[in-house]
Amino acid sequence: MDVFGSFALLLALVCAAYALVGGIAAILTRHPLLIKSARQAGMATCGLIFLATFCLEYLFFTDNFSIAYVAEHSNRDLSSLYKVTALWSGMEGSLLFWSFLLAIYVLSVLITYRNKNGELMPYVGAVMAGVQTFFLTLNNFVESPFKALAVPGAGGVMSFITRPDGNGLNALLQYPEMAIHPPNLYSGYTGFTIPFAFALGALLARYPGEKWIHLTRKWTMIAWMFQSCGILLGAHWAYAVLGWGGYWGWDPVENASLLPWLTGTAFLHSVMMQEKRGMMKVWNVWLVFTTFLLCIMGTFLTRSGVVQSVHAFAQSNIGSWFVAFMGITLVVCFGAYLKNRDYLASENHLDSQISRESSFLYNNQLFLAACLSVLSGTLFPVFSEWFTGNRISVGPPYFNKVNIPIGLLILFLTGVGPLLAWRKTSTESLKRNFGWPLLIGVIVGAAVIALGFRDFFSVTCWTLCAFVAATILLEFYRGAKVIRVRSGASYPACAIDLTMRNTRRYGGYIVHMGMVFVFIGLAGAAFNRDVQKTMRVGDTMQIGPYTLMLQGADTKAEQNYTAQRIIVEALQENKPVMMLFPEKRRFAGNNQENGTMVAIYSTWKEDLYVVFAGMDPETREPVIHAFLNPLVKWIWFGGAVVVFGTIVALLPNRRSVLVLAPAPQPSARPLPHAVTTPAVLREGHD
Amino acid sequence: MTKVCLRGAAAMLFGLAALPFWLAPIGAQRVSDRAKQIGMKLKCMCGACSMTAGGCSHPGGEFSGPCQAWALPALQQIDGLLTQGKTEQQVMDAFVAQYGPTVYAEPPKSGFSLVAWVMPTAYLVVGTLVVIFVISRWMKKNVSEIPASGAPAKAISSELLERARKLAEQETEE
Repeated sequence: MDVFGSFALLLALVCAAYALVGGIAAILTRHPLLIKSARQAGMATCGLIFLATFCLEYLFFTDNFSIAYVAEHSNRDLSSLYKVTALWSGMEGSLLFWSFLLAIYVLSVLITYRNKNGELMPYVGAVMAGVQTFFLTLNNFVESPFKALAVPGAGGVMSFITRPDGNGLNALLQYPEMAIHPPNLYSGYTGFTIPFAFALGALLARYPGEKWIHLTRKWTMIAWMFQSCGILLGAHWAYAVLGWGGYWGWDPVENASLLPWLTGTAFLHSVMMQEKRGMMKVWNVWLVFTTFLLCIMGTFLTRSGVVQSVHAFAQSNIGSWFVAFMGITLVVCFGAYLKNRDYLASENHLDSQISRESSFLYNNQLFLAACLSVLSGTLFPVFSEWFTGNRISVGPPYFNKVNIPIGLLILFLTGVGPLLAWRKTSTESLKRNFGWPLLIGVIVGAAVIALGFRDFFSVTCWTLCAFVAATILLEFYRGAKVIRVRSGASYPACAIDLTMRNTRRYGGYIVHMGMVFVFIGLAGAAFNRDVQKTMRVGDTMQIGPYTLMLQGADTKAEQNYTAQRIIVEALQENKPVMMLFPEKRRFAGNNQENGTMVAIYSTWKEDLYVVFAGMDPETREPVIHAFLNPLVKWIWFGGAVVVFGTIVALLPNRRSVLVLAPAPQPSARPLPHAVTTPAVLREGHD
Repeated sequence: MTKVCLRGAAAMLFGLAALPFWLAPIGAQRVSDRAKQIGMKLKCMCGACSMTAGGCSHPGGEFSGPCQAWALPALQQIDGLLTQGKTEQQVMDAFVAQYGPTVYAEPPKSGFSLVAWVMPTAYLVVGTLVVIFVISRWMKKNVSEIPASGAPAKAISSELLERARKLAEQETEE
């Protein structure tokens, strides 16, 4: 099966190269058969990648420890779920998984637009094939997942071996969230290839109008949704597994995932400027190019060892391949832009400083400032080493100081932007839209201060959250009220009806609301507390309103690990509220790795987060590290709302349509200014 | 009742005694709040996390050993230096002398490191100025296209009106 997989990968590379070269030839010659064969080669590439991925999974499931990648990342006791996830647990497999996800996108695009956009698709196909060719080159010649295990024998001849058991999967990856976090994040990274291919394709083809924007909007939203989901799942995994009491450490790899998300978010906003007003065409094209390049750069940072990261894969020479690919991509993008930049000429007119258009400009500027700040902070240790010879560390305190103000400004614009009118916003409109939300924001801010909270950024954040939430709710209320007058239905029903009539707009509001929830949770981090104590059975420790009592300890043996857990009772006002079982796990396999399982009692107000930290070296008694993390639940809830809102925005609109009805018979001569064809507005679906 | 409690306690003690030897020993020695505060300005040099020495609480899995091996002793060292009467700056200097400037959790606001602080501010300030400039320019363009007052207004064709109506509908959709 390994030979079969290897050949499938090699054939996939050949097909991808053909799709690229044949695609370029098809563009130049306009020969229909060449166009068709290039497209079919693109489809064949995807099928062969699926086959190769299936082969590697088969090798995992059959415990084939003659294959180096399988022996390194699996063992016999590994459960079926983790044998699936072992696919992306190392460099070689994760690159194949990248190709696999990209193939899903490419195949979907090729099938969806099989008989559409004949002028544009050969360009798009060629760009996608170019990206696939790069990754398949890595899969075949740099990091092949099908390498056989071999040892040097007599006379230096290599002989193949099969190990009786594998090393096992990294303990930190044996957690359900790890089964879905990388696929989500990778789906985000790979998904941005599609808007990139359309943007570059449209530029090369000088494809008319804003059509490429319409074609790729949904693909961008899908990629963005996966990226958001992946980032949040990663944060939750870090929170629940690593046991450091936090969810975001500004690690270079975390930052790398945030960068394309920030530019992608900027693009999702600025794209409306092009759709509605035909503006910012150059900007949008470069935002898409940048987002794609940042995705590749993220992968480069993870795998090259250029920056120190807890997530980094083993260092290898793969970094130079990514640098070369980024260089080529940048040259192609610049070349296409310089050659066809007149195609992107747009009539940029603005009527007022205070308008929806200007809010989009500020929004983009802030997202870009956030992106550049994170990027320069992440790379600063490398730059400082180049210039001074000393590697200056840039840790979480720096990123927090720099990004919190930018985040708050973005939050403010989240509330203001959608309520500003296109072209020009009148003073009356400002008063009508922002009067109540401002008042609510001020009241909440005052209440928060009155409750004793003094952290400037947290208080500002909650004040803005109240303001933004009020603007969004007011918008739903106003729309629902109009529908209610006519239909008489309840407000919630009218709000749903309203949302379904313009899913993009109201889905966007739901996404904004989700971000408000996320910010509420993030602001809570300023009030985190922790206590660490060595405890004997019956001992107690106090953290916030909770008393923790150590009740005992036990051991349990599972299929792939042995767990040592302690039993902690959480009491509040002397009443038991929860039994908590934080544990340490010792995994099977040659690596014999340790893992942690944090016990969390989560409420909307705070998380009681208990870690079995280890054994006191002197007393040999368990050490408990307890954290009280306010409002963390809001972050996960907000993330779910963001995903839900994106799904809503992806749904087609249910619109009112004009249905022509027979005109009433005129009793007399028609009036000279009468409408010739009376139209009756009825409810309908498109 | 007492018997049951004793049995329970004995069982729990047995459970604790059965804690396997593979659990890495970990110090729970208290360090002062002041040491933690200073530790927040130092990077944990365990090599396995990107946290600060003061904020490092990395007891999980693979991370339990190295961080506790660096962050905790570092905090204890800070306490020791503070007891000797050293100032915060002297404590920081001692760590920098030992590990180099890489031990700072955030770039110092001097020398080349100042660039790290200037850049985000520049992105914000320059970016805002650029946006203000762009908006003003695009607004001026618009003003220059408005016909001079007093000029006879052109009659609007129905085709143009229809286009304007469609445009308005499109623009107010979002």
